[in-house]
Amino acid sequence: MATQRTDVVIVGVGAAGAILAAELASAGMRVIALERGPRHVQADFKALDELRFFQRQDTRPNVKRQPVTWRPNANARATPLRVLNYGNQAGGGTVHYGAVSWRFHEDDFRARSQTVERYGAKAVPGDSSLADWPLSYAELEPYYDKAEYDLGVSGKAGNLNGSIVEGGNPFEAPRKREFPLPPLRADQSGLLFEEAAKRIGYKPFASPHAIISQDYKGRAACTYCGFCQGFGCYNGAKSSTLVTHLPQADATGNFKLITLAMVYRVNSDNSGRATGVSYWGPDGSDNTIEAEIVILAPFVFDNTRLLLLSKTAKFPNGLANSSGQVGKHFMAHVAARVYAAFDDRYVNNYMGPNAQKHSFDEFNGDNFDHKDAGFIRGSNIAVATAGLEGGPIASAMGLVPPPGTPTWGAAYRDFFAKYFARHLVLLSETENLPYTDHTIDLDPDVKDAWGLPAPRVTYDWHRPNEVKQVAFMQEKLVELGRAMGAAHVWRAPLSGGQPGPHPQGGTRMGSNPRASVVNKYSQSWDVPNLFIVGSSTNPSMSGFNPTLTIQALAYVTADAIANRYRKSPGPLA
Amino acid sequence: MSKTDEGRRAFLVGAVAGAAAGAGAVATAALVSDSQPPATPEGGLDPLSAAARQGAFLNAADAETVAAIAERIMPGAPGKPGATEAGVLNYIDLALAGAYTDLQEFYRHGLAALETHCRQTYSETFAKLAPAQQDETIASLEDGKVESFTWPAARAFFETLRTHTMEGMFADPVYGGNKDFAGWNLVGFPGVQLIFTPAELESRQAFTRSPVAGLQSKARSV
Repeated sequence: MATQRTDVVIVGVGAAGAILAAELASAGMRVIALERGPRHVQADFKALDELRFFQRQDTRPNVKRQPVTWRPNANARATPLRVLNYGNQAGGGTVHYGAVSWRFHEDDFRARSQTVERYGAKAVPGDSSLADWPLSYAELEPYYDKAEYDLGVSGKAGNLNGSIVEGGNPFEAPRKREFPLPPLRADQSGLLFEEAAKRIGYKPFASPHAIISQDYKGRAACTYCGFCQGFGCYNGAKSSTLVTHLPQADATGNFKLITLAMVYRVNSDNSGRATGVSYWGPDGSDNTIEAEIVILAPFVFDNTRLLLLSKTAKFPNGLANSSGQVGKHFMAHVAARVYAAFDDRYVNNYMGPNAQKHSFDEFNGDNFDHKDAGFIRGSNIAVATAGLEGGPIASAMGLVPPPGTPTWGAAYRDFFAKYFARHLVLLSETENLPYTDHTIDLDPDVKDAWGLPAPRVTYDWHRPNEVKQVAFMQEKLVELGRAMGAAHVWRAPLSGGQPGPHPQGGTRMGSNPRASVVNKYSQSWDVPNLFIVGSSTNPSMSGFNPTLTIQALAYVTADAIANRYRKSPGPLA
Repeated sequence: MSKTDEGRRAFLVGAVAGAAAGAGAVATAALVSDSQPPATPEGGLDPLSAAARQGAFLNAADAETVAAIAERIMPGAPGKPGATEAGVLNYIDLALAGAYTDLQEFYRHGLAALETHCRQTYSETFAKLAPAQQDETIASLEDGKVESFTWPAARAFFETLRTHTMEGMFADPVYGGNKDFAGWNLVGFPGVQLIFTPAELESRQAFTRSPVAGLQSKARSV
């Protein structure tokens, strides 16, 4: 058993943890980070191998070793989810993600107030725990800006200081300056989307990506190889924190990364202070890091799990859980998808970055009048690939043939041979509302490879608001597919109820210590030297992908620790 | 030659063929014919045909069944390579001895249940059924309506076989299937292309720049 002492210990170096490591080590603090997975080098991603990285999920958690279970309601028995779409290495999910990098809308930070002001209090479903965030878009803007420039995000401004700019997203929140890099090139699916969306009256644009469209900070530009979402980037053009922030942390001399380390407990003393963390090494060794500040930055599920596993006599319901809110308000996107296939042209959708290549934003957030819609909030609408990426395995698994065409046999073969390179996918990711009974807790039956209880999700997206949202978006996607001139337009099957992309919640932030787990600095209300970061803190979720917001919030936390907490430890709020 | 040696030899044939596929069909043929003397056919199969590349995990009878299922899931036709031509059996056999060892019992039980069903229904093994009867049987699996299945469930067995057939069709040839890029050529996928140019991204035509490239040819060239 080894014990080390440090100023800061960080659990997980993904989208958020790596930023905190770089920022705090740069500010002169001694930082030790613990990572469950390995630290890859770029050469590990030279193999553009769809079987290994997409199909066998080599950069994502092994579902047998690290299960997450799901049940639709509290009366059902949970079973392990078959695919886990988060990272399992230094750099976390930013290694394999599609790198779509949105700023949330202004009203995403005040979804309850916005809804009540515009539609009345009754418009918020009575069973939803929808809440405003404890910070505004304006407060977060400088941190979004820093994240975009530090990472290298490619895009086109749609709103510069309140002036709408042609070619960008006119619904975006005002930004102080342009993106650091111009948008990625549109491929055929993007061009088709652009032309059709314009024709039916929308304002399409190239989605912002943390993929560099030109050489940037010593890294080479994207080459559009298409082995993108699900893969580590072979030339480092994807702005994962593995290539952006971890090298920065290394250069300080104050940073130490311990890989293959499974943190199983946050330690705390009788005064209510966190003293560090305990972890098992790859050799089974039991080790402890003692630290002045503990930062939890694993994926959503493990923030809740670690707090529940760290209960003590002083914290009998789990660490940092005097509010009883830990594990509550779990959310995820519902991916409603429509396929469009062409007889008179090729699309070659396996080329280029895969995720949400082109978008329009008319039906996201509160960008349209919901008065007669029967639901609140919305979704980004984009063009994408049938799987995480557009290669033949992902397409064979994700392109479900239209009604009347089988999934195997000669008719399937002919369908797939004809349309593999002639199809695209229209995608909406609808915003779930938070509900108190959508939870993460500890599975009483299923254990992980270390013998710890698996995180268990209780969740079913089939709530009236969400069902109407999804049906509405499917109609819009069908309309768009027809406007593209596709010979065949049909709907993909929806998930049976299990969580879709971008899980969030479990340790929500708020302004009331009795109704939230952390304050706007992601600092625990109960344990002031414990910071819990990542999308687990999101009180509501937006119809946008969450990663850039996770990263902006990590900068908020780093700034608060380096410039305020360090001088005067204690509650920041 | 003992059974074990047979298996090892067949494994090596598969591995060599898979490894060399990236360098092109000519090299593959040369390697196999130079290094492998003709062996005694087992179970009536030609050991050097794609369908016979097995022996790492599956026994001859099970291999015959798996090859037959895969061929009905992705049947070949003139100009349209199917599972047999792509070497899907070789892919599945190697995977079950490697990355998918945890599915060995799944396959054993599933294949046994399938044979029980076929003997009861048709008094014949699956591999010897007429294609229409094989399709009828696979459709029953897909519908989950085969009583001889308990674990795995019939539907799960179908889904796994479909998934593994697609992997064998479309995974890089280093894994033992997609022989000579049969699967990629079928659908028009160009394999590992490190760069697509602006003109290529914007083209409405089929992408035809050659060569189609696999992992190992790339590894040598990088």
